[in-house]
Amino acid sequence: MAADGHGHSPIEQFEIKELLPINIFGIDASLTNSGAYMLVALGLIFGFLYFSTGGRSLVPTRLQSISELIYEFVANTVRENVGNQGMQFFPLVFSLFIFVLVLNLLGMIPIPGITFTVTSHIAITASLAILVISIVVLYGLYKHGLGFFKIFVPSGVPLALYPLLIPIEIISFISRPISLSVRLFANMLAGHIALKIFAGFIGVLLGAGVWAILAPLPLLLTVALTALEVLVAVLQAYVFAVLTCIYLSDAVHGSH
Amino acid sequence: MSPAEKGSDRNDGQLSPEDRAEFKRRSAELGRRLDEARPGSELSKSGKSSKNSDSNELMGRALRLSTELIGGIVVGAGIGWWLDTYLMPSVFGVKTWPLMFIVFFLLGSAAGMLNVVRSGMKMKTGPSAPSKGPAVPGDEDDVK
Repeated sequence: MAADGHGHSPIEQFEIKELLPINIFGIDASLTNSGAYMLVALGLIFGFLYFSTGGRSLVPTRLQSISELIYEFVANTVRENVGNQGMQFFPLVFSLFIFVLVLNLLGMIPIPGITFTVTSHIAITASLAILVISIVVLYGLYKHGLGFFKIFVPSGVPLALYPLLIPIEIISFISRPISLSVRLFANMLAGHIALKIFAGFIGVLLGAGVWAILAPLPLLLTVALTALEVLVAVLQAYVFAVLTCIYLSDAVHGSH
Repeated sequence: MSPAEKGSDRNDGQLSPEDRAEFKRRSAELGRRLDEARPGSELSKSGKSSKNSDSNELMGRALRLSTELIGGIVVGAGIGWWLDTYLMPSVFGVKTWPLMFIVFFLLGSAAGMLNVVRSGMKMKTGPSAPSKGPAVPGDEDDVK
């Protein structure tokens, strides 16, 4: 993604390219670079977890302790936010966390012409958020029946205020999947655009005669931004997992 | 997988009550010692984390709060606009534009504020529970 500088647009990296046209009964199910990246991520996750936990020794090897650290980390997040009943959702939260984390980090590996950040597309993040919120609603209805809708009714408020407060609560609930998906997508998108722009400055400055003296400045900034982006990649995966847990805790415990 | 589960033999289903009580006591003790030994877990979150990670955390909080607010406003305005353009004219045959849009925009802003206040409160208190020791084999109330 970096050091192109041939006047490439900074948003060119988000373009979806068709790699393998597949058409199933008129539905365009072609393998795109986005899909390929997700398959690679799945392969990496599966391979890593399979081989690192293959030995299952009591004293873990290095790889095994990495998987155990991730496991413990997600398990603690679920326990802290949902409680022990929430552990039935552990597979969901763990899958979401590791999927988003690996996709974010894969987007940070620069391969000229190929690098693509799957989570910088709102279609992906919104699908994940809709999955989460559907599970929250369905499990809430299954667990509490219609009593689940009590989360829309604020407690300790005079009856006269209900017509005002219930729509507010409903809008607040609907806005959850939106803020969940927009947060992840916007962070990744903005970060990668910023990286590309500052990397582009290097090339422009190098080609500008005397001003080439200044070229190391954006280079330094790009290095710093790359570090920041790696941090953001991990942080956003964590935030996604934490918010999933917070929403699930509503479904598990009913009204707040 | 806790180490305790792996250490026991085939007959871990037949622990005597005293054994189990002893085991529970030891696992609680281990959990407490782990909490003490782990510097990065609960203690440092409350105050003594370094300045650099502090500012990163604040940045994350600010981004989170802003999307909460924007999400509320966008959803409210969207619902109002949809009511005005599709539902009210086609179902009830009344032209309400821009009444519903304004009303729901305001409701949405209130919902956004509510989101911000709620997640702000959650950040302040911080949902933290003391971490437990390893699970006792054959104990149903621990972890499903």
